[in-house]
Amino acid sequence: MEPNYTPQSPNPDPSRQAQPGGGLESSRHATMSKESLESPYFPTWCPGCGNFGVWTAFKNALIELAIPEEEVVIVYGVGCSGNMADFNRVYGFHALHGRAIPSAVAMKMANHRLKVIVVAGDGDTYGEGLNHFISAMRGNHDITLLIHDNQVYGLTTGQTAPTTEKGTKTKSTPAGAPEMPINPLGLALTADASFIARGFAGNIGHLTYMIKQAILHEGISLVDMFQPCFTFNKHNTYHYFKERVYDLQQAGHDMQNKEEAWRKSREHDKLPIGIFYQDPHSIPFHASLSQLQPGPLVHQSIANVELGKVLPSFR
Amino acid sequence: MNADSLHWKVAGRAGEGIDVTGSMFGKLCLRQGMNVFAYREYPSLIRGGHNTHQVHASFHPLTCQQRQIDLMVALNEEGISLHVDELGEGSVVFCEATQDKIDLSKYAATGAIFYDVPMTQISREETGHFLAQNVVSLGASAWILGLDIETLKNVVTDQFQEKGDKVVEMNHRALFRGYDFAKANCQPIKPTFEKRPNTQILLTGNQAVAIGAVSAGLQYFSAYPMTPTSEVLHTVAALQDKFPLVVKHAEDEISAVNQAIGASYAGVRAMTASATGGYALMVEATSLAAIMETPLVICVGQRPGPATGLPTWTCQSDLQFILHAGHGEIPKIVFTPASVQEHFELTRLAFELAEKYHLIVFVLSDKFALESYASMPTPAEMYQNERYSFVTEPLPADDSYRRFEVTEAGYSPRSIPGQAHGLSVTNSYEHDEFGYATESAELTKTMNAKRQRKLIAVAADLPEPVVVGPAEAKVTLVSWGSTRLVLEEVIRRMPAGEVNAIHIPCAWPFPQARFAELAGVAQKLIMVEANVTGQMAQLIRQETGIQMDHHIRRFDGRPFYAEEILAELERMNG
Repeated sequence: MEPNYTPQSPNPDPSRQAQPGGGLESSRHATMSKESLESPYFPTWCPGCGNFGVWTAFKNALIELAIPEEEVVIVYGVGCSGNMADFNRVYGFHALHGRAIPSAVAMKMANHRLKVIVVAGDGDTYGEGLNHFISAMRGNHDITLLIHDNQVYGLTTGQTAPTTEKGTKTKSTPAGAPEMPINPLGLALTADASFIARGFAGNIGHLTYMIKQAILHEGISLVDMFQPCFTFNKHNTYHYFKERVYDLQQAGHDMQNKEEAWRKSREHDKLPIGIFYQDPHSIPFHASLSQLQPGPLVHQSIANVELGKVLPSFR
Repeated sequence: MNADSLHWKVAGRAGEGIDVTGSMFGKLCLRQGMNVFAYREYPSLIRGGHNTHQVHASFHPLTCQQRQIDLMVALNEEGISLHVDELGEGSVVFCEATQDKIDLSKYAATGAIFYDVPMTQISREETGHFLAQNVVSLGASAWILGLDIETLKNVVTDQFQEKGDKVVEMNHRALFRGYDFAKANCQPIKPTFEKRPNTQILLTGNQAVAIGAVSAGLQYFSAYPMTPTSEVLHTVAALQDKFPLVVKHAEDEISAVNQAIGASYAGVRAMTASATGGYALMVEATSLAAIMETPLVICVGQRPGPATGLPTWTCQSDLQFILHAGHGEIPKIVFTPASVQEHFELTRLAFELAEKYHLIVFVLSDKFALESYASMPTPAEMYQNERYSFVTEPLPADDSYRRFEVTEAGYSPRSIPGQAHGLSVTNSYEHDEFGYATESAELTKTMNAKRQRKLIAVAADLPEPVVVGPAEAKVTLVSWGSTRLVLEEVIRRMPAGEVNAIHIPCAWPFPQARFAELAGVAQKLIMVEANVTGQMAQLIRQETGIQMDHHIRRFDGRPFYAEEILAELERMNG
C-alpha cells in the first residue's frame, strides 16, 4: 500500500492530519515473529545476565501466541529489566520507576482489545510501586506482570532490594539488609490475584510456558521470575537456583488451592516454580464496566456529546 | 438596603443539611430568573463544625458574595455570634431564641431584627424529625424576601423526589408552615421579586470543570479524593452511565496521574484532578507526560498550605509551584479561570490544546471558585469534538513512521496502540524520532528544542488578558483566577472611570505582548492576589519588567471581599 504520509518531509501543521470523527479504529497487521520483534539495538545487559533468559522466553511466548503485533503494549519499569524497551520492536511505553502498573491498567481500560504486559523489576514493583501492585491485584485488571526478581538493585549498582535476604551485605546495607524479604507471591495471594506463577530465567522452556499462560489468563497475572544478577548478587546465582528449584506442576500441586499456594510461597530450602494459583472463575476489571460493552473506549465516538442529558440537574 | 438584590445566609452545625438548604435556596433564585452566586464555608470536619452557605441573588450582574446579610438563618447561636459583623440596620435574623436559650439583648447593637421562629418544633410536628427545620426556614425566607413559594415548592419536590412521595409531602407541609409563620409574624424586607424566565444553570466551579470536560469528550478520569476538587470526581463518576466514560478512584495521586497518562497514550481523552497538595505527588508524572508528549489535562485546586494547611479554605499560593512543577524543562499551559463559565470553557479548550499540541494543560483554580455556586448561561445541548494530531491511516507499510519526528511546530502526529505500522517506544528516557532511548548530545538538544517549540505554536490559541470595566481608569487592578470575581464587584461599586481591572486567564505561556500593552496605558497598577509573596506580580516582572505600583494581598485562607478592597483603595488614596 502507498503511504500517504512522507516521514522525511517537515510537517508545519501536523494537527491537520487528524482523523475525522471521534472514534479511533484501525486495521490489522502481521503477527509477531523473531524478525518483527527486532529493534535496531542489541541489549546492553552484562554478559550472563538473567535478563537474556527472560527476554528469550518472553519473545518466544509472544511469537507462539501469534498476537497481531499492534495489539500488544509492553509497559516497562525503570531498571535493567526495563531497558528491554529499546530491544523490542513493539508498542512500548517506558514508564516512570515504580509506576508502570497504573499506566498499564488504564491502557487496558482505554482499549481492552490490547494485550498489556508489564516488564519491571523487583525494586520497581515490590518497592517503589507496591501500592499499585496490590491495587491492580484487588481490581483484577487484565494485565500481565513479568517481574524480574534478582534480589538486588542492578542498574543503580548493587543496593538492597525488597526481595534481598535479611542480613545480606550490599552497598546500601554494609551491615547486612535489616528487613525480612518481601514474599511477592504471598502478597499477591493476599490481594486476591487471580493468576500467580514463578519462573526461572535459567529454564527458558518452562518460563515461556508460564508467560504464555499468564498472557492468556483473563485477569491479573503475575510471573515472578528468578533472574540472577551476575554482577551485583554473588549469592543468588544460576547455580544457587538450579540446585533449589522444582516444578510445582510436576509435583502435583493443586493450583486452585489457595492455602496450599500460600504454603508453597513460604518455601525456602527448595524453591517452587510454576503456577501457584489460578482462579478459574476470574472476571477481569474491564468486563465489569457496562460502558465498555459497546466496545473499547478508544473506539467509542466523542464527536458529538449530548451535554443536554446532564443540564436539568443544574436548574 | 438594596431593593433589587438579596443576600441570604444559613449557618449551623455540620450535619444539619446546611449545604442542601443553601443549594435549594440558590435554585429558587435561579428559577425566578435571577443571577446567583453562593459561597460556602466549612471546617475540615464531617459533623459538629460551623457551616455556612450564603446566596447572593439579583436580576443585575453579580459575581461574588458580600459582607452584609439581608437575612440570616441561624440554626444555633453561633449562627449569630460568629457573624455579628455581617449584620446591620435592616438585617433580619431567623433563630430559635426560645429553644436555644439565646439572650438576644447581646446582639442588639447589630441593629438587626430578630425573629424567634420555631423551626425545629414545626419540623417535628410535620415530619417527626428535626431535620426539616431547614425547609421551614426556607418557607419563612421566601415570605420575608418576596420570593415565589410555588417555585420553591417545586425545588423542594425535586430535592426529595428520590425519597418518595411521602417525604415530599411532609417537606411541603413543613415549607408552608414556615411560610405561613413568617406571613403571620414578620414584615417583608424586600419588594416582591417577579418571576422571569430562567435561561441559566447553577453550578460550582468543580461541576463546571466536570461538565466542560465531558462536553469535550472526556473518556478517562482518574483521581484520588482531596478537597477542594473531590467534587469533580463525584460529578464525572455519576455520569459514567450516560457517556462513554470510565472514572477510576485510584489508590493514590501518583497512580491517578500515571493512569491518566496511560489512558491518554492509548488514545482516549484523559484527565486527573487534585488539590495542590495532591498534585505535589503528581509532579514526577508531569515530567513524564512532557517527555512522552502525551496529552494530559490536570485540574488543580489551591488551598492554603504548607502541607495539610487549611483543607477547606482558599488561596492563590501555588502559581509559582505549578509554573515550575516537574523536573527537566517542561512545556505546559496554565489556565487560571475565574467564573464558572470560564471554568467550563477553558476546560473544554484544555482538552483541545492538550490533544492538538501533545501538551500538559493545567486548569488552576482554588477552593473559592471551585466550591462556590454561580449561575451561567445554559451551555449548548450538543458539543462537537474534532480529533487532532493523530496519524492518518494507513501508515507507511515499510514501518518508517517516526512518532517523535522533529517538526517545525514541535509536535508530530501520534499513533496509538492498535494501529498497524505505528509501533514505537514512548519513552521516559530522552529518545530519537522512533522513541528509542538516546544519550546523544545532538538529539538531546534537538528534542528539548522540539518540545519547547510547541509553546510558540500554541500561542495563537490561548486566551489573552482582558480588561474588566471601563477601558481607561485612574486605577487598574490586576488579577488572575477567581480574584476577578471580586474585582468585578469592586468596579461596579466605584464611580465610573475610577477603577478597572486586567484579568489574566492564562498564566503560562505568559501573554507578554498583550499584558504589556494593557498595562502600558494604566495610570496606576495594583496587583490583587491571595498569597503572601506576590506570585503573579513576580511573574509579571519576570516576563515583562513591569512593576506593580501597589499590592493588595490576602493569605488568611479567606476569599477577598469587595468591601475590603474598596476600603484598601481608599486608604491608598488617603
